[in-house]
Amino acid sequence: MKKNKTMNDPYDHTKPLAIGHTHQGAPLDEASSEFVQNTASEFRQVAASSSKPCNHTGACDCQSQADAPVADGHEAMVENLVEEAVVRSVFPNDIQRREFIRRVGKGAAAAMIASFIPLGDMKAWAADPVKKGDLEKTDLSIGFIPITCATPIIMAEPMGFYAKHGLNAKVRRASGWAMVRDWGINKEVDAAHMLSPMPLSISMGVGSPQVPYLMPAIENINGQAITIANKYKGIVKGPQDMKGFRFCVPFEYSMHNYLLRYYLAEGGVDPDKDVEIRVVPPPEMVANLKAGNVDAYLAPDPFNQRAVYENCGYLFKLTKELWEGHPCCAFAISQEFATTNPNTYKALFKSIVDATYFSSDPANRKAIAKAIAPKNYLNQPVTVIEQVLTGKYLDGLGSVKNVPDRIDFDPMPWQSMGKWILSQMVRWGQVGPEIDFDAIAKKVYLEAECADMITELGYKQKKANYDKFSVMGKPFTPDDPLGYAKSFAISRV
Amino acid sequence: MTLAKIISKGSKYKPYLLSLVILGVLLLAWSASTREPAFDPAGYSEDDLMMQEMNGDIVRDESGEYINNPDKLSAVPGPGRVFDKAVDELRHPFAKTGTNDHGIGWLVMYTLQRFLVGFLLATVVAVILGMVIGMSKTLLMALNPFIQLLKPVSPLAWMPLLLYTVKDPYMTSVLVVFMASLWPTMANTAFGVSNIKKDYLRVSEMVELGWFRRFYSVILPASAPAVFAGLRISFGSALVAVVPAEMLLGELGVGYLSWIEWNNLDIAGVIFAIMVVGFVGFLLDYGLSKIAERFTYTES
Amino acid sequence: MSYLAVDHVTKIYPSLEPDAKKGDEFVVFENINFTVEKGEFVSMIGHSGCGKSTLLNIMAGFDQATTGGIILDGKETSKPSLDRMVVFQNFALMPWKTAYENVALAVRQSHPQWNRAEIKEWTMKYLQMMNLESAANRRPSMLSGGMRQRVGLARAFAAEPKILLLDEPFAQIDALTRGSIQEELLRMWEATNSTVFMVTHDVDEAILLSNRIAMMSSGPHAELAEMVNIDIPRPRVRSELIDDPKYMQIRNHIIKFLVSGETV
Repeated sequence: MKKNKTMNDPYDHTKPLAIGHTHQGAPLDEASSEFVQNTASEFRQVAASSSKPCNHTGACDCQSQADAPVADGHEAMVENLVEEAVVRSVFPNDIQRREFIRRVGKGAAAAMIASFIPLGDMKAWAADPVKKGDLEKTDLSIGFIPITCATPIIMAEPMGFYAKHGLNAKVRRASGWAMVRDWGINKEVDAAHMLSPMPLSISMGVGSPQVPYLMPAIENINGQAITIANKYKGIVKGPQDMKGFRFCVPFEYSMHNYLLRYYLAEGGVDPDKDVEIRVVPPPEMVANLKAGNVDAYLAPDPFNQRAVYENCGYLFKLTKELWEGHPCCAFAISQEFATTNPNTYKALFKSIVDATYFSSDPANRKAIAKAIAPKNYLNQPVTVIEQVLTGKYLDGLGSVKNVPDRIDFDPMPWQSMGKWILSQMVRWGQVGPEIDFDAIAKKVYLEAECADMITELGYKQKKANYDKFSVMGKPFTPDDPLGYAKSFAISRV
Repeated sequence: MTLAKIISKGSKYKPYLLSLVILGVLLLAWSASTREPAFDPAGYSEDDLMMQEMNGDIVRDESGEYINNPDKLSAVPGPGRVFDKAVDELRHPFAKTGTNDHGIGWLVMYTLQRFLVGFLLATVVAVILGMVIGMSKTLLMALNPFIQLLKPVSPLAWMPLLLYTVKDPYMTSVLVVFMASLWPTMANTAFGVSNIKKDYLRVSEMVELGWFRRFYSVILPASAPAVFAGLRISFGSALVAVVPAEMLLGELGVGYLSWIEWNNLDIAGVIFAIMVVGFVGFLLDYGLSKIAERFTYTES
Repeated sequence: MSYLAVDHVTKIYPSLEPDAKKGDEFVVFENINFTVEKGEFVSMIGHSGCGKSTLLNIMAGFDQATTGGIILDGKETSKPSLDRMVVFQNFALMPWKTAYENVALAVRQSHPQWNRAEIKEWTMKYLQMMNLESAANRRPSMLSGGMRQRVGLARAFAAEPKILLLDEPFAQIDALTRGSIQEELLRMWEATNSTVFMVTHDVDEAILLSNRIAMMSSGPHAELAEMVNIDIPRPRVRSELIDDPKYMQIRNHIIKFLVSGETV
């Protein structure tokens, strides 16, 4: 796509623009304003049907954090799309339009139209549609924990996804989940990376003050593992061998806790009586494993891979083997922020979904690893992050494994996932059985909104629905989560 | 200044020469105890070597031979490694590569600022309260049970309560420093004031000093040495508290640095951070003692 | 009317014994009654523990009499004041202030309407009178005992009190320095026409300096045994005093009293 330099554009593209105004200062009349609006929506349709923004072909291997691969091709693409959209608006009839263009040539057609339509304005405007849409707040602070689950949230800063949607967002690193939760509740940050159960627990006021929270998108699916200390190599084969173990999980309200308990319970081991489960911030888990204070943990990466890197542990089981496609971490935002800053919220939502889809493409994984490993983000050796994201890794037992979807990214916050989490919270007594599963999941997990956002960005949903799934072979019953919670041999309800 | 003159009898530099010698011995011992044996490829299969390379345990040097990866040591790092890390960090002390990664110069300033605000606030409150308590026996006895109850509580234990009520992490860290520096200064001030030599009070009565003049001209200077003794203790206590407060609150600073290096299991970085804290503390204490000198007096 | 009257002063301490009865108090002294005229130099002498320092504290206002009182220039006194400046046995100088500042404090307090220059002039005058000019900017820790007491004297005199109360002022000063300070004290007293009451245990010193000497008997129940008139003419020169027969007479009299506890 090349810039159309032959067009005689009297307007100064460098000057900032106010909506409804031409560069000559005179406001557009009503008819022209309306036309501009129509053209804008036309443009959006055209944009949506075009390919992904990055104009680098093939595997995008942009090494530098400075040049975001996304921003480059964007401007050029937009300019041509505007021209196309304008022509379409003037000639809505396809056949008429094609005839006109054929006779006159695309450039001339655009030039003719430009003589009475502020094309330059609209190009400038269309290029930053969200900015002109009155973003209430562009300087944002987003909390995160330095784990690979938050990859889309983190990489969106160095790789330009926030900027693309008009936001100046900075990601701020916290050292523990309680900290991130407090930052969110106390408005130290505008949005945050959280564990997928946390928006539910915070909205219910369980384990924290009650603040209505929303989860517009899931960050990652899979991406965890059970790591065991090297001294148990070859000894531990299943839950029965783990009796008396000291485990770590990052937080009480976490998929890690629920999956670990599920796994142990399926093997007949009571997680509260036969083993010890301690809450430890993920970075400390490796040090504890090395020091022999704990025997195993179910943790987010990179701390599983890090244990292998430190030669103190091995990967016993990937969590995807327990539940393929399980949710893990979330992008969370308070209801208050979303309602008081709706445009900003929308732009942020878009950035996240956009970033998530980019992250899920295997071709981008290596570049992402390089972008998020440095001190400002994860502060981990690049090779550890790379092994996690690319799925080509050392398992600590002497082999190199290749599991490309060891971690994957899919933003859809299925309400059935939320109900599963709620069922486990009830199962282990974290919350009473009389909660309204449907209402809570519906309020917090924004399934429909995310689906809309995906479409708006021009992507395709990875799954049509998520009504049926099984965990370790046992199917979940979304219409009766309470029954499901009661149906286990080991359960507190 | 020749070496002979330095080590000659009565030279005032002799103790410092001894310090250097001790330092040298310590460094040698540290270096010797953390030495790792050179990597010997014999006994490993091709696959083994490849996997060790993939895991980052070994790298190829200039001649293409396998050596232990100097950036990845499983043992506690030796002084050389720490020195390299220090040079690295100090090269760009005022860089800011992102929200979460500021240069060591900035981090020291953030920690210092937090520390000084809390410490000064505590000093003002502690000195005023201490003087009031010291001058009145009734007050001293009435408040004593509360003081004794609150004094032994670790300042870090206040942190969750403060964060819950104050909410702002910066104010919380300042208040943690405040709680740490309050008690020793208050106790020493009260002690100093209540133990002022009777003669000074008699003289002030005799020359009919008004209460303000008496406070400013007699009580304050008389108790100054005790106040400063309290300040120096508080000072150490506050510095000890600010580091973990930063870790727990996620506020950028030197404490935060040691936490982050720990997260990455970069022990050299942790040692470096410890040294920075120690050095900063040393400088501040030196400054405080110089100030204290102005206010001390000898009785005989 | 007398300038200062010690009017039937008695000091009783309640007993410290746990099972004490009402009669078990400790009577330090009782019914001490004497006067001091304006411009006089009166000393009090007695054994240690007879309560003479306690009496001086009562006169200064640091302590209260159990019965009786102190009347100065027609008014009864109770609290310490600039009217009755004390020179302390252990100097009581503020160690964080220089010699100048210690004296200036009293000057400023006793002459509140003076400005800085006036205070400086007056302070330096008194420092000069006590030969302290070179030591003006030194702190007490840098001064010898003798110098410190000179500062104490300068401070007391500079405030122009109605009466100066000296509490064994030279007890902690070596014998050689004592001589010169005593002479300086005499000069200062004569130059300022002040009234002085001094407590001492040094007989020679008392005879050299005073108009009259009050002799206290031993405690408990100490009392004023005798008031001795020193009618040796002034100026009294120490080296010549020994040759004066009246001096030896008085000296023997006093020492006999001190040794036997009785007057003759």
